Amino acid sequence: MMALIPILLLGALILVFGVRLLVQWSRNNRARPVTIEDYSLARTALDSVLVETMAIKRVFATDDRDFISRTGTPEVRRFFLRERKSLGLQWLRKTKKQVGQLMDLHLKLASYTYEPSPKFELRLTVNYMCFILASNVLLAFLWLRGPFHAVRTVTYTLRAAEHFCTVFSLRLEKINSVKLGPANEPRMA
Amino acid sequence: MDTDLIWLAAIALEGVVLIRGLRAALLKKYFLFYAYIACILLIEILRFCSYRLAPGLYPSFYWNSELVTIVASYAVIFEIFRQALRHSPGVARVAQRLLLVVFVIALTSAASDLLHGGFASVPRVAADLGRYLRYIEGGLLFVMLWLFGRYRISFGRNLLGLTLGYSLLVGLDVMNLAFLSFHGNEFSIGFRKFLPITFLITLATWCATLWFFQPDPVQPEESAIERDYGLLAAKTRAVLAHMSARVARTLLP
Repeated sequence: MMALIPILLLGALILVFGVRLLVQWSRNNRARPVTIEDYSLARTALDSVLVETMAIKRVFATDDRDFISRTGTPEVRRFFLRERKSLGLQWLRKTKKQVGQLMDLHLKLASYTYEPSPKFELRLTVNYMCFILASNVLLAFLWLRGPFHAVRTVTYTLRAAEHFCTVFSLRLEKINSVKLGPANEPRMA
Repeated sequence: MDTDLIWLAAIALEGVVLIRGLRAALLKKYFLFYAYIACILLIEILRFCSYRLAPGLYPSFYWNSELVTIVASYAVIFEIFRQALRHSPGVARVAQRLLLVVFVIALTSAASDLLHGGFASVPRVAADLGRYLRYIEGGLLFVMLWLFGRYRISFGRNLLGLTLGYSLLVGLDVMNLAFLSFHGNEFSIGFRKFLPITFLITLATWCATLWFFQPDPVQPEESAIERDYGLLAAKTRAVLAHMSARVARTLLP
């Protein structure tokens, strides 16, 4: 009976994926195809993620906390911690959203590449999974312990985000942009 | 009486799918799929005749012809693969490698199971072989559906209908054959009765979605001044964005 389970699972997954294809098709009917504009925006978004990643290191920097601890009143310290926590959470949510959008665009753009390699795809997927995992852990840490107790996780998340963006940048370099649409118009033959 | 009705309805629907394919000029485009439909139509007619005229021969004829049907259905999987990844040569290459790996693994496992099971009778071997071929087909279809979802491959209405109908057919058949391989499983008896109706649903899906020729989403034309201008503008914007990012990075402590 145990041997039956994988086969039943396979049959069920085929049905589920079939339904997913139908849902995807109905969404695609409403959505427009990838255009040069999307490609360009993806590049800009990618650069902004990299810049923000550099800037956010300052939010989690312990130098500022040490300075406030030395010179500020308890009220100022509380305000400072609250502000940094809120900034950290905002940045993390925004970065997660942006990276998710980049991943989505990456998958759409895969059809336009000259040669997507399975190794590259696997690496990108693993990087994305690592980033999602690290950012969720960081989110929990930020909530529970504040911005300065999660420095290691922050460093890891930043590295993961940077690495993901670099890998994604490589994908963009390989896009056959000639095949992209010129504007936001529906293309049906 | 009910069985006859379902049987005749299936034959009629298969005929309609073929005729509509001819009329809507889809026969040339989806040649392999229509060849499969023609094959199962012929088999259904022969089975019906066998059931009526020589009932004693029917069981062995059924299992042998079932094997032929399953082998022929590989044409549909090939057709879906060919049509869906026509404009994505890169993804097609990835898919080819992945499917080849799945095919070899599944085939090895099935061959090993078959050899260990021994050869009882010709219909029994045909039934077992058919079952394993269906499992392999299920594995290949699963990988393909996963790839289509992952890479957001765009489908036209005709191809979508073909794929959905085929997924329903293979998905349920894989489950049914798994139940059948366990003798005395009561659930398989009920499930088996349900299968002809799902086959009718599959045929109705094919009939409805392949009634007219529907255009596929296509890639844009490759040489237009506007496109070249857009491309140049996009690349300039990208270079500017990249430069500003570098400047910002340099200015930051």
